[in-house]
Amino acid sequence: MTKLQFRVLYRQFLFRMVDLELISAQGDISKLLGQFAGLLMFFSFALTFGALVFDRGRLKPAQLQSALWGMEHFLISTTMLVVGLFAVLSWDSTFPDRRDVLVLAPLPIRARTLFLAKVSAAAAALGLTVVALHCLAGLGWPFHFVPKGGNGLRSLAAYWITMISAGAFNFCCVLGVQGLGAQFLPRRYFLRLSAFLQMAAFCWFMCSYFVEPSLVTPAAFTAPQNQWALWLPSYWFLGFFHQLNGSMHPVFQQLARRAWIGLAVSVGGMAVAYALSYFRTLKKIVEEPDIVPGSGGVHWLPPFGNSLETAVVQFSIRTLARSRQHRMMLAFFLGIGFALLVFVIKNPGPKNAALKSDIPLLFTTVAMMCITVVGTRVVFSMPISLRANWIFRVTQVSRAWEYMAAIRRPLFALGVAPVWILSAGLLFSIWPWQLAADHLVVLGLLGSTVAYVCLASFRKIPFTCSYLPGKSYLHMAFLTAMGLMLFIIRGVVFESEALRNGTSYTIMVVVLAVAMLAARWWAVSRANEEDAVVQFEELPTPALQLLGLNRDGVVTTEAPS
Amino acid sequence: MLELRSVSKCFSSITAVDNVSFSARAGEVTGYLGPNGSGKSTTMKMITGLIEMTSGEILFDGKRIQHDLIAYKQRMGYVPEEPHLYAHLSGLEYLVMVGQLRGLDERRTRECIDGLLRLFTLYGDRHAPISAYSKGMRQKVLLSAALLHNPDLLLLDEPFSGLDVGSALVLRSLIQELAARGKVVLFSSHELETVERVCSRVVILHRGKIVADDSIASLRTLMELPTLESIFSQLAVEQDTAAISKEIADLIRA
Repeated sequence: MTKLQFRVLYRQFLFRMVDLELISAQGDISKLLGQFAGLLMFFSFALTFGALVFDRGRLKPAQLQSALWGMEHFLISTTMLVVGLFAVLSWDSTFPDRRDVLVLAPLPIRARTLFLAKVSAAAAALGLTVVALHCLAGLGWPFHFVPKGGNGLRSLAAYWITMISAGAFNFCCVLGVQGLGAQFLPRRYFLRLSAFLQMAAFCWFMCSYFVEPSLVTPAAFTAPQNQWALWLPSYWFLGFFHQLNGSMHPVFQQLARRAWIGLAVSVGGMAVAYALSYFRTLKKIVEEPDIVPGSGGVHWLPPFGNSLETAVVQFSIRTLARSRQHRMMLAFFLGIGFALLVFVIKNPGPKNAALKSDIPLLFTTVAMMCITVVGTRVVFSMPISLRANWIFRVTQVSRAWEYMAAIRRPLFALGVAPVWILSAGLLFSIWPWQLAADHLVVLGLLGSTVAYVCLASFRKIPFTCSYLPGKSYLHMAFLTAMGLMLFIIRGVVFESEALRNGTSYTIMVVVLAVAMLAARWWAVSRANEEDAVVQFEELPTPALQLLGLNRDGVVTTEAPS
Repeated sequence: MLELRSVSKCFSSITAVDNVSFSARAGEVTGYLGPNGSGKSTTMKMITGLIEMTSGEILFDGKRIQHDLIAYKQRMGYVPEEPHLYAHLSGLEYLVMVGQLRGLDERRTRECIDGLLRLFTLYGDRHAPISAYSKGMRQKVLLSAALLHNPDLLLLDEPFSGLDVGSALVLRSLIQELAARGKVVLFSSHELETVERVCSRVVILHRGKIVADDSIASLRTLMELPTLESIFSQLAVEQDTAAISKEIADLIRA
């Protein structure tokens, strides 16, 4: 009985890592999970390619040591980042929600079974994430890490143990923090704090990954100015790996010890805090409401055009401000922007000192504008309370083109305007006003162009249309984004020069203005097409209804004659 | 007047609503009854334009609603069967949003919202998120949203669900008052006693087909039955209720 209960619950919880209520009626959750796995495997493949072309013989011993230490640290910290992000994104699924408890509590299921099923589902998802990330890289790189006189199999084992341990460390830390919060706080306050903790954990993982220095020589490890970095867990696990690999350098001894202590504390602490809080939380979920009713605060928002536009924009602002899930998704995109900023600051590019000083700021504003607009547009596609969207359908008393105009507003209000205003504040405070104004014109035109392009085929009121997993090709989107970033970097270098040359600047602004007008014309003309209707379901009702008879075991193998 | 002419709705091979024709006149409350799965809510959704009919036509004041759906929706108020609302908004924010979506005058709407919230005793909780509302409070928000624009056609699908006794009595009077003011009211419910008190006419649906369409008084006379419940049982309940309850009790004992 308990085994059967465990199996049923385990399967349920494993697929509940993603909110199934958001998915389109004809959507398939396995496609979405497959896409994530595909993206990780694609990344793994890219890493493996590096392993295939890596030529140890061409490097001097010191260079080889630096290259290998750098790669080892990169692999460990990337694993920690991916697992950390996974833990943050599945934050709400680590504890049963109110519905789980209300459905399962009346059934004769032991809390222990529920707990084990939940932990096992989380651990399985974590394991699959690590395996997908290292399925290819984990077979190529370990053989480059074999020390002199060492054994390839030992390196392979050391590699996998290190990656799993590093991932488990991050995952356990997240669960432990949640467990402590749930243990010591009333549930309603824990839920409030939980939102901030989740965001803090997200920022920590992103910052520690992108800001941490790259220490690849023994001297760098012993340098006094780098001692703070040795408190970063990714370096602990670098020491941990070398200890297991049999390639221990004296600089790693302290780090390996920290890794062992850290792992023991995080796993043990998590087990105790999570288990205690879990059983306590089960009772509290039923006893206490999920949200403290708000009584005060500011409820006013300005108008954003006519009443329809105002309704759509205000609804979008309130949803983004109050939905943790959507905020986290947007934060993910902003985190990418932040990472690119750090990358550019670390690798400024041109040698010209005058340009060099401008470029990080120019790049930051341009990249943040593009990423915020694209990210906001992606977040708009994820619905909230899907079954509540009937009110938008029943109150559809305006023409379709008016809705399309209203749909464009939120992207400008939440994507273009905030970045532009923040950039204006920053630029006017540190640059001469003329230079700042010139760049702001470029930024505004660029942001508007990106927004119109993003909206060209978008016919949904933000947060109201069902989501169809598997529709977008994540790996292609990833590659396109990388290509665009290279284009932006080149564009920013050009802009930096143009800001000092009136003619070049004028040409650039004219080109951007034409591009923006063209994008606007494209978006508006598509919105005004005769068949344009506001979309509430990602897939339209099919003209021909498939009966799906193959599900009963009858699979058509031949085309009908 | 709302008029349905030979309306059908098929989902794959299942006919949920089969050739349904009836009319609901201004000034009277029309009850729309039927057992679970008989096609009531599907009909309601077709009348609101939420789903398309497979065949037939729906007319309001003599015009096909599909001819100008926007103009039709401006005159229609709808309370759905289930209280699906945007729970992250407060009751006030939700109603303001509905007013904006309907393009109503802002000042007038705000006055109307405040009045409705006070009359439905929600004013004190107007800034609380709907997620903290009870089922009855959510139902009141739905009712307010349906009435906000003074609709000519009111479609009520289980409007009494979750309401306390006081609010239910208010709503009962309100439905009659609105009908008396010349509005078309189509009212679907399983509470036959309420239907009997509120409605002047009933349409009874069974397995997607209409089995009765007349005034309650005529049905009583015609079928020689004393109550709407007995009429309904005879027309739409196929099962022997006593035998089934005995069978269930026996089954769980085994």
